[in-house]
Amino acid sequence: MSRVARSLKRMMAIFHARNLEYLRDRASFGWNLVFPVLIVFALALVFSGPQKSIFTVTVTTHANQLELAQFPGIDIQIAEREKALERLSRQQTDLVIEASEKEINYWINQNSAAGAILEKLLRSTETRTLSRGQTDGAAIRYIDWVIPGILGMNVMYSALWGVGYVVVRYRQSGYLRRLKATPLTKFEFLIAQVISRLLVTVVASCIVFAGTHLLLDYKMVGSPGLLLLIALLGGLSMITVGLAIACRTESKEFADGLLNSITFPMLLLSGVWFSLDGSPAWVQGVAQILPLTHILQAARAVMLDNAGLLDISLNLAVLVGFSVVGMLLSTRLFKW
Amino acid sequence: MPEVILEVSNLKKSYDNVVAVDGLDFKIKKGQCFGLLGPNGAGKTTTLAMLEGIEIPSEGEIRYKGNFLPRNYQELIGIQFQATALQDFLTPFDNLKLFSNFYDHPSPMGELILKFRLDDFLHRDTRRLSGGQRQRLLLALALVHNPEIVFLDEPTTGLDPRSRRDLWDIVKELKAEGRTLILTTHYMEEAEILCDELLILSVGRTLLEGTPDQLVRNANVDNLDALFLSLTGEDLVKTQEVIT
Repeated sequence: MSRVARSLKRMMAIFHARNLEYLRDRASFGWNLVFPVLIVFALALVFSGPQKSIFTVTVTTHANQLELAQFPGIDIQIAEREKALERLSRQQTDLVIEASEKEINYWINQNSAAGAILEKLLRSTETRTLSRGQTDGAAIRYIDWVIPGILGMNVMYSALWGVGYVVVRYRQSGYLRRLKATPLTKFEFLIAQVISRLLVTVVASCIVFAGTHLLLDYKMVGSPGLLLLIALLGGLSMITVGLAIACRTESKEFADGLLNSITFPMLLLSGVWFSLDGSPAWVQGVAQILPLTHILQAARAVMLDNAGLLDISLNLAVLVGFSVVGMLLSTRLFKW
Repeated sequence: MPEVILEVSNLKKSYDNVVAVDGLDFKIKKGQCFGLLGPNGAGKTTTLAMLEGIEIPSEGEIRYKGNFLPRNYQELIGIQFQATALQDFLTPFDNLKLFSNFYDHPSPMGELILKFRLDDFLHRDTRRLSGGQRQRLLLALALVHNPEIVFLDEPTTGLDPRSRRDLWDIVKELKAEGRTLILTTHYMEEAEILCDELLILSVGRTLLEGTPDQLVRNANVDNLDALFLSLTGEDLVKTQEVIT
């Protein structure tokens, strides 16, 4: 038997053992599937109804230049043109206005009834020269927007805790010391852990996605294959980060703290529950160094905007970068 | 004259400023059961870990059949650790299969199951095994690749008398097969029955070395228990001073 074949045999053995452990731990296995499904259903119950019946106008200049601003029931927001038009195409706003002293450029979503009403109102109240643009796109409800967040959050928890915490538990119980006394190498052990957890994370995500998508009506216009690729690379990046945390940690309590110190900022800053569009630039900058941000940006682009591989290539490249650095650090620093 | 299988020269191990093993010299012959004895903190487990290739000595060397430890040393030795956790939710069968796959030429699983009498609890979660069943499984895992040298770190600690005797029978069988056994224990009766040669350690140094008979005779006591009590009592430091 060649050296590579022997190495593969040992890796497969530890991979199989880890899978058995996970599948027989019915409580953890069930929770990994049940928890995200419960959250999805709870949010669907709360947020899947129609949007509030208030008109929203987004302006790229100051609001007091508009006659529309005097009407009650119209919420005026300010945003950059590109962002505003993106929101218009998702019907998160009903009208976009770019006004100067002499003329007004405006855009409506041709699928939006609210947009049509606002256009009539605008034309009847403004004396400036009006120039019309239009976009299309179905309405994005909160449930549509938050589903990628929940799927991403599930990938994060499953990957980070499923590897980070488990490896520290193995070390604390002396199991790693027992493995050290066999021909199994560090690299073989780590790769087996990565593949086993990746399989679990991706399969669980697919089950949660397919199950909830069958029962609930939420938006998914992009390629399922691309979404799978995002789950794979996202899961891989999180797993390797988890391994890097666990590579020398000896106490489960300390591992707990370290993992929490990583997951909490990601939950807050990566856009799981709410958009960071209106947040300060430095917050958005910090968010860009978190792997969950890139998982969610890519997943939302695919699910909501039918983005292609090229559109999300930067996000995927960042996830690959996290995976490579995490794996290198883990292999170099790992202690049995 | 049996071949020397392991030879230890000036073996030392320090952790930060603590000296755990302080210059040991001894030889282990092929096919013998070699006992490492000593009170808690004497350096037995550290010495064993260095012999197992798990810890790297701070100084000194260990030779296998006159040469440096070979690259495939882990294939030549089997280890039963003092307290080994196994993966949760796995059965003895799963564990045997897992550990068999780590080696190129594993023993047939059927033979191991029979030899270590694992069949009654072969498919039970290892967390639900009794102390004796667990030790038999750990011994089977140590023997899964048919090793030449077997390390047994306090194999009967915590077992009831019946399970202890069962394990002694297995150890005697292993000896009869010609394997070299290296054993640590707190039970002097066990050392007297199983070991051909003993090394008694204190604070990382050799206190006494010889066959159980020689040690008892030279100390003019009734048995090893009495000898060990005299060494590990208040007179330990004094005894050590006399010897060194």
